Amino acid sequence: MMNKAKKKMKLLIRQWQLQSMVWPGLLWMAVFSYIPLVYLVISFMNYDISVPLFQNEWVGLKHFKAFLADDRFWRSVVNTLGMSALKICIGFFIPIFFALLLNEMKSARFKKVVQTISYLPHFISWAIFGGILLNWLSESGIINQLMMALHLQSRPVLYNGNPDYFWGIAFLSDIVKETGWSAIIYLAAIAGIDPGLYEAAELDGANRWQKMRHITLQCIRPTVAILFILQVSNCLGSNFDQIFFMKNSANMPKAETIDLYIYNMGLGQGRYSFSTSVLFFRSIIAFGLLQLCNFVSKKLTGETII
Amino acid sequence: MKKYKKILAVLLCAGMLASLAGCGGNGQSAETVQEQDGAAAVQEEETAEESAAAEADGPAWKKDTSPVDLTWFVGASWYPYTWGNNLVSENITEKTGVNVEIVTPTGDVNEELSLMMISGDLPDLISLGSWETSYNKLYEGGYVYSLNELADEYDPYFYQVVDGSIIKWHTKEDGNLYCVPNDAYGEEQMAQTGMTAATQTFLVRKDLYEEMGSPDMTTPEGFLEALRQLKENYSTYKGVNITPFYAQGGSGYGLSTFLQNFLAVPYEKDGEIYDRTTDPDYLEWLKTLRQAYEEGLIGIDYLVDSDDQVTEKANNGQYFCMLREWSGMQEANTILAQSENPDSYYIAIDGPSGKNGDAPLIFPGSLDGWMSCFISKNCENPDRAIAFLTYMCSEEGQRDVFLGVEGETYDYVDGVPTMKPEFVEMMNSDLETFSNTYGLGDTYWMLRNSVIVDQWRPEKPEYIKQMYDWANSHAYIAGGIYNNLEPTGDSDAAIAATRVNQKWEEVLPELITAGSDEEFDRIFEEFIQARDSYDYDSVVAYKQQLLDARKG
Repeated sequence: MMNKAKKKMKLLIRQWQLQSMVWPGLLWMAVFSYIPLVYLVISFMNYDISVPLFQNEWVGLKHFKAFLADDRFWRSVVNTLGMSALKICIGFFIPIFFALLLNEMKSARFKKVVQTISYLPHFISWAIFGGILLNWLSESGIINQLMMALHLQSRPVLYNGNPDYFWGIAFLSDIVKETGWSAIIYLAAIAGIDPGLYEAAELDGANRWQKMRHITLQCIRPTVAILFILQVSNCLGSNFDQIFFMKNSANMPKAETIDLYIYNMGLGQGRYSFSTSVLFFRSIIAFGLLQLCNFVSKKLTGETII
Repeated sequence: MKKYKKILAVLLCAGMLASLAGCGGNGQSAETVQEQDGAAAVQEEETAEESAAAEADGPAWKKDTSPVDLTWFVGASWYPYTWGNNLVSENITEKTGVNVEIVTPTGDVNEELSLMMISGDLPDLISLGSWETSYNKLYEGGYVYSLNELADEYDPYFYQVVDGSIIKWHTKEDGNLYCVPNDAYGEEQMAQTGMTAATQTFLVRKDLYEEMGSPDMTTPEGFLEALRQLKENYSTYKGVNITPFYAQGGSGYGLSTFLQNFLAVPYEKDGEIYDRTTDPDYLEWLKTLRQAYEEGLIGIDYLVDSDDQVTEKANNGQYFCMLREWSGMQEANTILAQSENPDSYYIAIDGPSGKNGDAPLIFPGSLDGWMSCFISKNCENPDRAIAFLTYMCSEEGQRDVFLGVEGETYDYVDGVPTMKPEFVEMMNSDLETFSNTYGLGDTYWMLRNSVIVDQWRPEKPEYIKQMYDWANSHAYIAGGIYNNLEPTGDSDAAIAATRVNQKWEEVLPELITAGSDEEFDRIFEEFIQARDSYDYDSVVAYKQQLLDARKG
């Protein structure tokens, strides 16, 4: 037993070059992910930023009760789940579809051009992309002009002022911006498929459609499953940057997600304890969801990530 | 080769660790440490001089003019000017040794200040509006120096330049003064001079309004009729698409207190705080706006547009009528008055009025002032900061800021400092050069004392004077006492007040876009219920108590 530990220690020392590449990452995690966990205790306090952490007054579950009784919190839950549902039910499959289509392209050059153009928007931050979008969506913007030129509407519509349009706009703009980028991971998975499989299928007389269905899709199934688990477990999260730059007082009823609610309450109003308790609550549910998805995925496909 | 690789690996790791440490260690590089040492040395030198300074009772800024850097946070994201590179700021830096770096928020003021408080990165000087939620936190959390203590220690001359009534009004319950306001107006002062800080106006585009026959827009019927006429005949006018209506600050201001002031909705009745939101006149006007929206006469673009979009529309004369502070329209009117259509600027007319035709209760300004200046405890040279503050508040400082340099930009005419005619001309025709190249006039308004400055202010051009005169003559001089009655901070009443206000900001667009008056009533009824469930009573109780105390 003792010997084993010693052996391990020796191995560790011998690999010091390799190990030293891991430690900075771990340190980063500790500083930015684990130490902040300690501060979750402020959700049970009346936290004042000018008082040392443990000298604050303990108030038990006061803040949890307060946000559970807040209609605005529940509205933000509905908004978050609604937008996540759109993303999971439709948005999730679009990059897969796009990757499959790209993969079927014959001209390698054209494929590369399409791929590059499609993932370029990913590198524009939402601060800028959102600003461009707001101009497009304004009453004199390009979208209104286009719709009127096509006689699809008779007068300009204030797209960003109508809360009912918000989910759709957020969803579509996210697709436009991120599809190309999200497809990369599937393309990588497709590139890793053994070409022998395709050759064998061709010998057996499979057409392109059959090859795509029975080989390509089957081979990237583990990747799809993992990303799906992550996506579902993140359904209480939202694209904060995007929502933040597209919200306004008119569309707020449909735009405020849990993340934005936490931000508005915490940094907006300075209620740090309150917003931490919301965050805490959200994290616990998200953790449960992750476990559940993992379990279901294990039963259905045999793929797990934990 | 192998050794080379080893060294490289070590270097790489060291680099990574160093960058990490940089993040964790509060960003204190060697440079700042050095700077601090230097500052400490300067301070030591000063303590020797300081006792002498206090005895001599002269302004401290004259005694130490060694170079010092101060950062100055101006709590207005739209503030466009910087320090240095213009006549006024260079002159002041030369005189006082203080070099200022102006910082403005890129987004919401409160959010950015909260971040700065948490991370301990507060700038040296902070100018902030008293309506901001972080205003109270600055002194309640102990982030700022009390100015009276700094003044007692370093610069007693402070008390000679800041008016006693202002000090009294701004001294907090703990007996300390934490900030100095700009543009503070006392009620007596306003009554005496006839000059107020009133800015709320109802503006219309002059040429268009006159071509329409100057319709009466004070009644709901007249308002709707004017908008109908506009839609029918003037949806484009002289080449611009007309946007019919704008309300400043959207639902939180323009369509709330601003409109209520025009309708002369009282603040109190028989000594009791009056619920202005449920006032029948006010609701009737909101329904009028709903009607206008239903008929397609107005949009809700003013709730959605960004500041840039609004500025663009105003500078092009796109709006027909606006509930807007005239002070924010000076630039647009200057541009419009010099455009191809010199009559396309905006004029103030009598706006929406209540049923019994009471005069509007235009907010006149108060001792609260507009923005107040704090000195944060992050400031390494509080002695210099208070001396600088004293200088800026003094008559000499006001003159240097507003009029510039004697002989260059102003002369004494009959013993009165008067801006040279070419600069008066520039102020009216080319505000950009006037502000950017010279930094004169209202460029650095952060510590402006309107009472002093207004005596030097050149006669305004007609297209600005008209708006100013309207607001001034309709100001409700006794109204200053009702300013900032809302609870702030994180007390239960303050949380309730914020929830009510934010709910209202969301409900108002729903009210205006409602399909019918019945739907309007239903949404409003729901709001009242929600408001009660948010403990609105505690907000009223707080306001009542504060008002009684002020009258005390």
